[in-house]
Amino acid sequence: MIRTTTLIFAALFLVLLVAASSCTKRGSNTRLTIAAIEGVEGEALKQAAVDYEKFTGVHIDVVQFPYANLFDKELLDLNSRTGAYDLLMMDDPWFPRFAESAFLTNLMPLLQKHGKDGPDPDFVAKSVAVCRHPYQTGSLYALPYVGNSQLFFYRKVLFAKYNLKPPATWDDVLAASKAIQEKEKAPDGGKMYGYVMRAAQGNAAVADFMPIFWAFGAEMFDAQGKPTVNSPEGIAALQFMVDLGKYTPPGYVSFNASEVSAHLLQGTAAMSINWPAWISAFGDPAKSKVIGKIEFTTLPSGRKPGQAEIGNWLIAIPRSSQNADLAISFLLWATNSEQMKRSAQRGNPPTRKSLFQDPELVKQFPAYPAQLRSLETSRPRPRTSHWNEIENTFGIFLSKANSGELSPADAMNQANAEIEKILQRAGQ
Amino acid sequence: MPRSRRFFSAPANRRELLLPYLLVAPALAVLLALSLYPLIYSVTISLQQETASGVVWTLGHFKRLATDNFFRTAMVHTFIYAAVALAFEFLFGLILALLLNQQIRGRSLFRAGLLVPMMLPPVVVGIVWRLLLNPDFGAINGTLKWLGVNTEHLTWTASPRLALLSVIAVDVWQWTPFVFLVLLAGLQAIPQEPYEAALIDGSSRWQTFRHVTLPLLKPAILIVLLLRTMDLLRVFDQIFILTEGGPAFATEMISLYIYRAAFRFFDFGYAAAMSFVLLALTNIISVIYIKLLKE
Repeated sequence: MIRTTTLIFAALFLVLLVAASSCTKRGSNTRLTIAAIEGVEGEALKQAAVDYEKFTGVHIDVVQFPYANLFDKELLDLNSRTGAYDLLMMDDPWFPRFAESAFLTNLMPLLQKHGKDGPDPDFVAKSVAVCRHPYQTGSLYALPYVGNSQLFFYRKVLFAKYNLKPPATWDDVLAASKAIQEKEKAPDGGKMYGYVMRAAQGNAAVADFMPIFWAFGAEMFDAQGKPTVNSPEGIAALQFMVDLGKYTPPGYVSFNASEVSAHLLQGTAAMSINWPAWISAFGDPAKSKVIGKIEFTTLPSGRKPGQAEIGNWLIAIPRSSQNADLAISFLLWATNSEQMKRSAQRGNPPTRKSLFQDPELVKQFPAYPAQLRSLETSRPRPRTSHWNEIENTFGIFLSKANSGELSPADAMNQANAEIEKILQRAGQ
Repeated sequence: MPRSRRFFSAPANRRELLLPYLLVAPALAVLLALSLYPLIYSVTISLQQETASGVVWTLGHFKRLATDNFFRTAMVHTFIYAAVALAFEFLFGLILALLLNQQIRGRSLFRAGLLVPMMLPPVVVGIVWRLLLNPDFGAINGTLKWLGVNTEHLTWTASPRLALLSVIAVDVWQWTPFVFLVLLAGLQAIPQEPYEAALIDGSSRWQTFRHVTLPLLKPAILIVLLLRTMDLLRVFDQIFILTEGGPAFATEMISLYIYRAAFRFFDFGYAAAMSFVLLALTNIISVIYIKLLKE
């Protein structure tokens, strides 16, 4: 009796062990697993995976995560070297962290195996630059899949109505905001705001501030890598943001992309910085009260020419992947001109020049010429592996200045000191 | 006697004696692996730091706490949040319990209705209130506007001045029913005799409440305060949904800061160190409550 019980337990234990080990050991040549973002970007990759399976018989699991979780899921996997994913989709600011820790496969040897001596020259240079570590000059660790960069959205009809200069400089923007807010009413008869921005602490505030910061000639770090956000240019830029805030709906210190877009779509604000993913909503009668009234253009200038933040989605192969050869084949296929066109038709901005100029696509997406100009002149967020922490800290102080809690000078001085602390800790 | 019965009640030999342990062992192993191991691991990483010459044992994370302005601010917010929310939840909970302990019409309807907020998951509460409190499209400002109030600067969770109050109000809304429920149970467990004695002695309503009800309700009061304090100090979900700690850091709680340190900045050692400080503080407060309860 006892012996039978023991035997049953032993058998059960063995079954569990075998099951567990089969979960962790993979390496077959007909399966790939991809970690991807939820939403339109990941969806396009999922469709590509389905097509690829029909074409080659290779089955691809696309595991999608929301934006808030994707980064930590990927970093945990890379840290523990499980090899659970053969390809990773990543937002470009995460890339330095992954590349610096030597988590990613150098793609050059793999490209050479496919008879290529580098990434296709058709890719926009700025998009390939964020795939290299160090930036622009180093080895290639990823390929660019979705070519987002910020755009400036404005109500062109109102500019004509009040005889305003198109927003070529930030001073034009401020003047137009003032004029429109004083003269125009919202469609429901309520108050109309000249501008709308997001200043929620963290990513949101920083994303909407960087184009102003750069245009004012400020830099986050000097040549030695010391933080310089409290330079006179930096403080002037923040002062400008606070001034522009007077023409932005109250509560904007908690705004994110959805609130900004809601104001533009409802016609209660006239201008903003936004990402191309929102463009399609402006032509949708169910969402938009301003169909055909919005123009999309490049970022305004200041002392320096206007530059947008680049926000590309990249795809890389972890070094822990056991299917690197198979993974590169899929990666090259998914980023080739034909497949990327399909992804573009599904709503993702491409990273290839030829597609931005493709007549069929331009007809479907009239903002493509502006998007290409914006992308070609875009700038990455500072390439540091501590960007998440720096961005969070910087964003808190931007938020504090916009809420009136700190003066722009105090906010920038305190931000500078906190960023310095982060860098000191990192250098330990 | 059937064989199996004898086997459990009177073990015949050593092998049979071992079997119960063998049967418990897998569960125990899983429990240890899931609780003890992570605990030891988190203690270890809170005392270790990576340097150029490898991993070293150090108190560096704890020293950093002393100079970390964000940590200090988040701690202050957490304690203000806990103290204010607890005070209101207790006050409202007690009043409701006293009212609904009497024979009033529709008593069971009130009781059932009051429990609804407590049944909702905090995430749902966060989303519902986020919509209600939205300054432009929310129902609260919509109603106020309809009543003719100028709501332009009533931005609730979007205003650094009102945000902490707003999240406290949401917590009070959700958790007052729990306090009410426990106190009501406490009230109903009090026997009638002391009240009859008080009545004979001619004590006023306030005297009866002060000298009869409150002392007899003390165990229930302390238990509910203890449970709510522990929950309030580690509040996470509804604030994460409502404000994410913003605007301008106005509602950043220690649990959110720990989460950011761990999963955004991947500084698990520092996050572990902060967690232990929070754990220690929660323990101290709990011990005080329990001491009071025993008196």
